[in-house]
Amino acid sequence: MGLFDKLAGWLGLKKKEVHVLCLGLDNSGKTTIINKLKPSNAQTQDIVPTIGFSIEKFKTSSLSFTVFDMSGQGRYRNLWEHYYKEGQAIIFVIDSSDKLRMVVAKEELDTLLNHPDIKHRRIPILFFANKMDLRDAVSSVKVSQLLSLENIKDKPWQICASDALKGEGLQEGVDWLQDQIQAMKT
Amino acid sequence: MAGHTMRLKVYSGTGLASESILLDLPSAVATFLMDQNEPRTPAVAVASGPFVYIYKNLRPYFKFTLPPLDVNPLEQDVWEQAKEDMIDPLTLKEMLEGIRDKAEIPLSVRSLRFLAQEVQEMESFVNLHKGQPIKRQTVITCMSTLKKNMADEDAVSCLVIGTENADVLILDPEAFTILAKMTLPSVPAFLDVMGQFDVEYRVTVACRDGNIYILRRESKRPKYCIELRAQPVGLVRVHKNIVVGCSDETLQGYSQKGKKLWTVYLPAPLMTMSLLDQKSRGFQAVMVGMANQEVHMYRDKNLVDIICTQDVVTSICFGRYGREDNTLIMTTKGGGLIIKILKRTAVFEEKDTSLGPPMAQSIRLSVPKKTRLYVDQTLRERENAVAMHHVFQMDLYRLRLMAARAYVKALESSLTPITSTLQEPLKMNAVVQGIGPTFKLTLHIQNTSAGRPSINLLVSFLYDQSLYSMKRAFFKAPMLVPGLNYPIETFVECLSDKGISDVIKVFVLREGQSTPLLTAHINMPVSEGLAAA
Ligand SMILES: Nc1nc2c(ncn2[C@@H]2O[C@H](COP(=O)(O)OP(=O)(O)OP(=O)(O)O)[C@@H](O)[C@H]2O)c(=O)[nH]1
Ligand SMILES: [Mg+2]
Repeated sequence: MGLFDKLAGWLGLKKKEVHVLCLGLDNSGKTTIINKLKPSNAQTQDIVPTIGFSIEKFKTSSLSFTVFDMSGQGRYRNLWEHYYKEGQAIIFVIDSSDKLRMVVAKEELDTLLNHPDIKHRRIPILFFANKMDLRDAVSSVKVSQLLSLENIKDKPWQICASDALKGEGLQEGVDWLQDQIQAMKT
Repeated sequence: MAGHTMRLKVYSGTGLASESILLDLPSAVATFLMDQNEPRTPAVAVASGPFVYIYKNLRPYFKFTLPPLDVNPLEQDVWEQAKEDMIDPLTLKEMLEGIRDKAEIPLSVRSLRFLAQEVQEMESFVNLHKGQPIKRQTVITCMSTLKKNMADEDAVSCLVIGTENADVLILDPEAFTILAKMTLPSVPAFLDVMGQFDVEYRVTVACRDGNIYILRRESKRPKYCIELRAQPVGLVRVHKNIVVGCSDETLQGYSQKGKKLWTVYLPAPLMTMSLLDQKSRGFQAVMVGMANQEVHMYRDKNLVDIICTQDVVTSICFGRYGREDNTLIMTTKGGGLIIKILKRTAVFEEKDTSLGPPMAQSIRLSVPKKTRLYVDQTLRERENAVAMHHVFQMDLYRLRLMAARAYVKALESSLTPITSTLQEPLKMNAVVQGIGPTFKLTLHIQNTSAGRPSINLLVSFLYDQSLYSMKRAFFKAPMLVPGLNYPIETFVECLSDKGISDVIKVFVLREGQSTPLLTAHINMPVSEGLAAA
C-alpha cells in the first residue's frame, strides 16, 4: 500500500476491499439479496437465474465488497470451488421454504466446509435463512438445526432470517460480516 | 399418484398440493404434454375401466372411452327375440349358453350376468335390460406415452393403451382419436414405448401368457417374441436393451431383437421395477423393489447400489421433481411416500457381484506371438496324434504293471510296516536316538485289532555283523493288548569309525512261521561319536 492509499484509508476516502463468495442452491435468492444491498439507483428490477456467476460490488460504512454471485444450479455448482481461495468471507443463502431440498443445501455446505481451501481457514460465514415471508418457511433456528450449524466450531458464523424482496434482515447480517472482517484484519 | 383409496393426489415439495376423488379403481397413471400451449404444464391421464380421465391444471378436463367392441350377431338375435317375448328366459339361457360355448366373439357382460342369475330372478332381469341395446366393452390394463414427432423433453406425446382384449392402441394427444391399433396374442400387462409416432417407434409388451412381444411402426402383429420361463412382473428398457423381472426372482436382460444377454438371481420376490436415468451423466440403471424391503440398482447384471427402506416398496419413479433432476420417489405398501435426492457428486461403481463369468474374463490377454518351434510342434502333434497316443498309453501300462508288481512283492514278503493279514493286524514304527557309537533303537508296536490280544510274537533284527552289534538280536515280544502302544527299546553299537552306515531290518514273526508278519527297514545314521574302545 502506498502512502497515499494509507492516507486515504485513514481519512475514510478509500475503503478496504474484500472478496466475498455468495453461495447457496438455485432459487434461494442470492442475486436478489445482493441486488438489495446495492445503492437503490444501481438495483435492477428483473432478476433472472444466474448463469455461471456474476461479479457485483457494494459498499458498507467501512468496506468495499466484491461479491462473486455464483449460480446455484446443480450443473454450475462445481464452479464454486475454483473461487474458494480468493474468498475472504462467505454468504450462504438458504430458501427456508424449500424443506425438501434442505438436505441438498446441507450436502453442499458440508462439501464446502470440507474443501481443502476452506477447511483450515477461520473464514467468516454469514447464513441467510431467506424467504422468511413465505407461509411454509421454517424459522432460522430450525434451518440452523437442519444444517447442523452447531458443528461449525472453527469458523465464526451467524444466521439471519431475511426477506430479500423487502430487504428485511439483510443489513443486520452484513453488519456482522463487516465486524468479522475487520476483526480478522487487525 | 393414484391409489386404492381411489384418490388422485398431487404433491409439491413435501406437501400435498391437490387431491381429487376417482370414480373407479385406477389401472394406470401417466403424465404427458397434450399441446404446444405455454406454460408447458403436463396433463395427468388416469386409466380406469374402459376410460381415461385427463386432468389439466389439477382439474378434470376430458374423459376418453374405449370404442365398443363388436357384438355377436347371434347374441343380438336371441335378445331381440326375448324383447319381442318370443322366447322365455329358460330358452334364452339355453341359447346363450350355446353361443358362449361355440362362438368366436365372446358374450357381452349383460349376457354373462344373465347366465349367472338364479332361475326365479331371470324373468325380472330380462325385463329390466331387454329394452337397451347390447354393448361389449373392454377395459384398460396398462398405459404409457409416446412422443408424437419430436424427441424433446417437453414434446407433445400420445397415450399408448393396452386393453383386456389384447389390443394396443395409440391415441392422438389432442383429438383422442385412435391413430394406430395393433393386436397381440395375449393380454398386455406391461408396456414400454420408445421412439416417435410419426418417425419410428417400438412398443415392447409383456403379456399374461408369459411372453414379451415387440411391435414396430407399420407392423400390425408382433415382430419379435421372447418366451419367458416365468411370469413377467416388470419391464424396463435400458438404452436399447430390455430388462424384465420375473416371478421366479430373476432379472433378465435381452437385446432389442429378443436375444437373451444375462440373468441375475434376486434375493427376494420382485415387487416393482423402474428405470434410473441420470441424464447429466448418461447413466442408466434398473431399480428393483423387492419384498425384503430393499431396492437394488443394477447396471446390466452388475449390482451398483442397495437402498434399504422401512417398508416394502410398491412403486418407483425416478426423474425431475421440482428443481431436482435426479429424484427418486417410492411408495410403500403401508401407504408411505419416500423421496430421495441423488447426490450431485454420487458415482455408481460397478462391483461384479453376480454369478457367471467375471468382468476380468472379457479383458484381452496379450498372448505372445507364435514361435516357429511352437508351430512345428503343433503340426507334429496334429500329424502323429495316433502314434503319440499309443506310445503314451504303452508307457502308462508299463508303469502300472511295475507298480502292481512291486506292491505284490511287498505284500508277499511283508515288507510293509503294517500287516496285511487280517488275523494279526499290527503296526510298527522305529525311532533311532543318539549320535553314536551307541544308538538307542525304539520300536513302537501296536495291535490294531478291535479286541484280540496278540501273543507269541517274536522280534528279530537282521544286520551286518561287521558294522553293528546288538545285545539281543532276537527276543520274544510281550503280549500286545489291542490299542496300546508298546515301546520296545534296545541298544545298537556301531563298530566302524569310518563314517559308514547301513540298514538294520526288523522282523516281527509268529512262532513257528518263517514269513514275517511285519518288516521295517531302519536307515541307521552315521556314527559321529568316537568308539568307546
Ligand atoms: N418470497 C420471497 N421470494 C424471494 C425472496 N428472495 C428471492 N425470492 C425469489 O426467489 C426467486 C429466485 O431468486 P434469485 O435471486 O434469482 O435466486 P438465486 O439464488 O440467485 O438463484 P440462481 O442464480 O439460480 O442460483 C426469485 O423469483 C426471487 O424473486 C424472499 O425473501 N422471499
Ligand atoms: Mg442468481
